[in-house]
Amino acid sequence: MDAAVEKRTLLPATAELMERIGWFIRLRWVAVAGVALFVVAGRQFLPVDFHLPHVLTTVALLALYNGWATLFFRKLIPPTPVPATPPPPANAPPPLLAGWLLPRTLRSMGYDPEVIRVVYFVNVQMLLDLLFLAVLIHFTGGIENPLRVFFLFHVIIAAILLSRRATYLYATVALLHMSVVALGEMLGWLPHYTLAAHWRQGGYADAHLAGTQLFLLGTTLYITAYMASSIGAQLRRRELDVFLLSRALEEKAHHLEEAYGQVSAAERAKSQYMRKVAHELRGPLGTIQTALGVVLQKASESAAPTSLDLIRRAWKRAGELAELTRELLALSRARDGRFLAESVTLRPEEVAGRVLEEMEARASQAGVALRSELAPDLGEITADPEGMADLLNNLLGNAVRYTPAGGAVTFVMKEEGGELLLEVADTGIGIEERALGRIFEEFYRSDAARAHAADGTGLGMAIVKAVVDQHGGTIAVESEVGRGTRVRVHLPILRDHEAEGRRGPLPGEHR
Amino acid sequence: MTPKKKILLVDDDQDLREVLSLVLADAGYQVVLAESGPKGLEMTDRDRPDLVLLDVMMPERTEGFHVVWNLRNRADAYFRDLPIIILTAIHQQTELRFYPDAGDGTYGAGEYLPVQGFVDKPIDPPALLKEIERVLSLGRKA
Repeated sequence: MDAAVEKRTLLPATAELMERIGWFIRLRWVAVAGVALFVVAGRQFLPVDFHLPHVLTTVALLALYNGWATLFFRKLIPPTPVPATPPPPANAPPPLLAGWLLPRTLRSMGYDPEVIRVVYFVNVQMLLDLLFLAVLIHFTGGIENPLRVFFLFHVIIAAILLSRRATYLYATVALLHMSVVALGEMLGWLPHYTLAAHWRQGGYADAHLAGTQLFLLGTTLYITAYMASSIGAQLRRRELDVFLLSRALEEKAHHLEEAYGQVSAAERAKSQYMRKVAHELRGPLGTIQTALGVVLQKASESAAPTSLDLIRRAWKRAGELAELTRELLALSRARDGRFLAESVTLRPEEVAGRVLEEMEARASQAGVALRSELAPDLGEITADPEGMADLLNNLLGNAVRYTPAGGAVTFVMKEEGGELLLEVADTGIGIEERALGRIFEEFYRSDAARAHAADGTGLGMAIVKAVVDQHGGTIAVESEVGRGTRVRVHLPILRDHEAEGRRGPLPGEHR
Repeated sequence: MTPKKKILLVDDDQDLREVLSLVLADAGYQVVLAESGPKGLEMTDRDRPDLVLLDVMMPERTEGFHVVWNLRNRADAYFRDLPIIILTAIHQQTELRFYPDAGDGTYGAGEYLPVQGFVDKPIDPPALLKEIERVLSLGRKA
């Protein structure tokens, strides 16, 4: 993208310009009030007695003019946010004087008509202000009036609002005004008005004195122009730098967000693919398993022991494969982020009850005591029933699998700190420190786990973690080798009304 | 001796249909097979089985549901009370319990699917026979 066009969207520079113009106009109201106060109070308490009608007229005109400026400014305010004006042709000539008057930061954005209007508005005010000040000084003593240094204020304001050249331009205009007043009065072309009748008269008529005054004023004006515009330019450069930097940061953040979106889309696609494959595998596998089972049953009397043994092995391995596809399905399901779609209002003790029913058979077969404490009144919560069942199946299944005969598994479910606590503790083989950090990895099984139980896919804890994440819960595992393992899962309790509107399409609908 | 009970098996997997029909025939049941939901309904009308084994996850995902609701919504008490056992992976059991398809594309979450039993896939023949016996012994409501 073209750099100039790119920068044009940085309109805060314009916004700042507008803000400063507002301040400029408010400042002028203060000046009007100040002069008015001076006119009224100054004549009372200070030794001055200037020609009142002229001064009052000038102040009134100044107030009128500032009223116009205020109204005009109000009409100008909307340019922030700036409408999308088409960028000017790359090498369009700058409009009249704009190249001169625009501050560098604004110039670098191209010559936006909106900005140029604003800048012309500022320049008209500068010229009028200088004129008013010159007239006011003329009516209150001309070159004899020490208030001529007020011209410095205008130079400073020009440095803040406009370009460096414009600042020098206004310093020159101020000096010219003052020179016209001084020369005009000295040569008698203009009447001289005194500031105070009793002051020593004649200073204005003395060419040396007036010339010295003018020279001093000019020097002061140019030095001020130089200092103020240098500082102003530096400040504006910094502002631009800061702005460009924050823009660059914003862009970076945007890119990161995009990249993250792509990664998670890929992750979703992967898990959907896994789901499809597992689903396709499951049907035929189930049939193989069932068929082999039937053969085993029917052939147990007639077939040779070796054939029978081979069939038994095939049947067992088919069962393991079926279990693997089942777990892959559960994992991809939990990772799909379909919690919102499939969560329903359920009673956690009902889900736990069904899982426990199945688990009890396994535990008694393994010689492990299975105890459970389900808090009686947990109420209804909103959760994914399949995910919950997967989670409990895996936690309890692991506990039973890795607990030697004679041990015990304890399951506690209750409300704790506003969350649902699921705690499974066993007196099993435990998990060594080094393996503890990896148990949530897919297909990870520690050596001790493999040695203790040949079966197991290594997907169980990955599923558990995915379900916990899916529900926005937390999981903590503590374990001591040879003593046992305790897993604590906290799931946020969502009541029905909180989940309202979070439910997506239901099963059977196309996703 | 009581007459053989007639079981209709609806499943889209031909191999599974044949394996199970072997198992069921061995156990002394008369078996009728159907490979799709519509076919299953047709056979129910024609053969009036004593029990239906129904796979819900046939190609059209809701096909099994439609069979259930089609039967339950009929005026004839025979169809309304006909025992149905759903064949499905244990995982879908939870889902089925919580999302019964009302037959018109809507789902009544939290209600229970009006069937008498569930059997996990992959099917363990002894478990299947046990569940069939249990459901048949419930007896038909008058």
